[in-house]
Amino acid sequence: MRGFGELEAVVIEQVWNREDKTTVREVFEELRLQRTIAYTTVMSTMDNLYRKGALDRERDGKAFRYWPTLTREQYSARVMRDALDAGGRSDLVLTHFLEQMSDEERAALRRLASTEEAG
Amino acid sequence: MSVASCLLLYSLAVTVLAPRPLARLTRAGIAPRLGVAMWLAAIGSVVASWATAAIFLFAELVRDWAQPGDTVVAACFTTLGAVATGGAGLVLQIGLLTLAVLAALALVVLAVRLGRSLVRARTSTHEHARMARLAGRRVAGLDAVVLDAPERVAYCVAGRPHTVVITRAAMDALDQPHLHAVLAHERAHLDGHHHLLLAVTRALAAILPAMTLFTLGAAEVARLLEMCADDTAARAHGSRTVLRALLALSGAAPIPAGALGATGVGVLARAERLAAPSQPGQRWRARLLLSAVTVLVITGPVVTAMLAARGLALCGGSMAG
Repeated sequence: MRGFGELEAVVIEQVWNREDKTTVREVFEELRLQRTIAYTTVMSTMDNLYRKGALDRERDGKAFRYWPTLTREQYSARVMRDALDAGGRSDLVLTHFLEQMSDEERAALRRLASTEEAG
Repeated sequence: MSVASCLLLYSLAVTVLAPRPLARLTRAGIAPRLGVAMWLAAIGSVVASWATAAIFLFAELVRDWAQPGDTVVAACFTTLGAVATGGAGLVLQIGLLTLAVLAALALVVLAVRLGRSLVRARTSTHEHARMARLAGRRVAGLDAVVLDAPERVAYCVAGRPHTVVITRAAMDALDQPHLHAVLAHERAHLDGHHHLLLAVTRALAAILPAMTLFTLGAAEVARLLEMCADDTAARAHGSRTVLRALLALSGAAPIPAGALGATGVGVLARAERLAAPSQPGQRWRARLLLSAVTVLVITGPVVTAMLAARGLALCGGSMAG
């Protein structure tokens, strides 16, 4: 599962915020309070997200009930893994505040820290 | 041919001889901004030399082809008089043309790969920023998104908009002033467009991994940019605060070993220069030296080309004159 378009992100956010499975109608009612949006737009967006594998769904009468395939926590973990892997890739440019340290570096840094505490 | 070969000799000299001495100049990280400028100038001068050499090579050969007789290739014949008999003339000319075409092709391939790799970097970097913004939560008064993750990590990623990411674990490990110092450090990267410099130097290093100038240059530029960001954060929050933030994040629950590539950003060197900032005298000496070397590597290829054009340099075809 990769990134999402702007509207897809808004919808995913809504689905994440719900405890239970949700419907297009519920998401639409929620989004309508924040922005001008058509019911069909929400429906096609959620359909896209299902096709992309970001949402799963089951039939419930005439409608579908949707839920996220990854929780926000699982998605966060993916982002984090991506970020931590970036050092070995040339195609993802991130600047970490702190890069990986060797054990010697860590030990030397601790010594420096202890003189800092003393000083 | 003389200008082209002189430029190629110049770039060869820089790529073989320069990396180690340049790395010595920037090791301590005094005046990191000028250090970055020097590395970029060195890398840029080599790439520019190649491009100019290819253009000259091509132009001279095209001219030769158009007006046979009194040509550079003819001059080459006199140099290689013993070798170039009448029969070998055409063979030699075709050989040289092939060489020029190959050199130009290599350069085009290099440019295409560089362009492709930069586009790829931009795409996946922006993608990551989007993902991080989606996964992360906003916290009032904080210019960053907060990610629920057990690792103590803070980083920035270019995108639309640029995004600073910090994990919940990192926030828990930092006091308020330290947190702001970390965010100032990351903001400095974004404001300084450091990601662009990193993207270009890393792409060159990845395309030509055998060239120490590019690989060492990319590593040094990354290290020095961290120091630049440290300095910016230190100006706003004090170097002690930045140092303590560094120490706080490096503590328990380390980042899993092997998760980050060994990019050698030299945390220790950063901590040391924050703990004991350099003296003004040292700083001026470093600034002077770095500026002088920067000017030298920028003017190097220009002077080389001009000397060669006037037939004063003793390389390549000019020996024939």
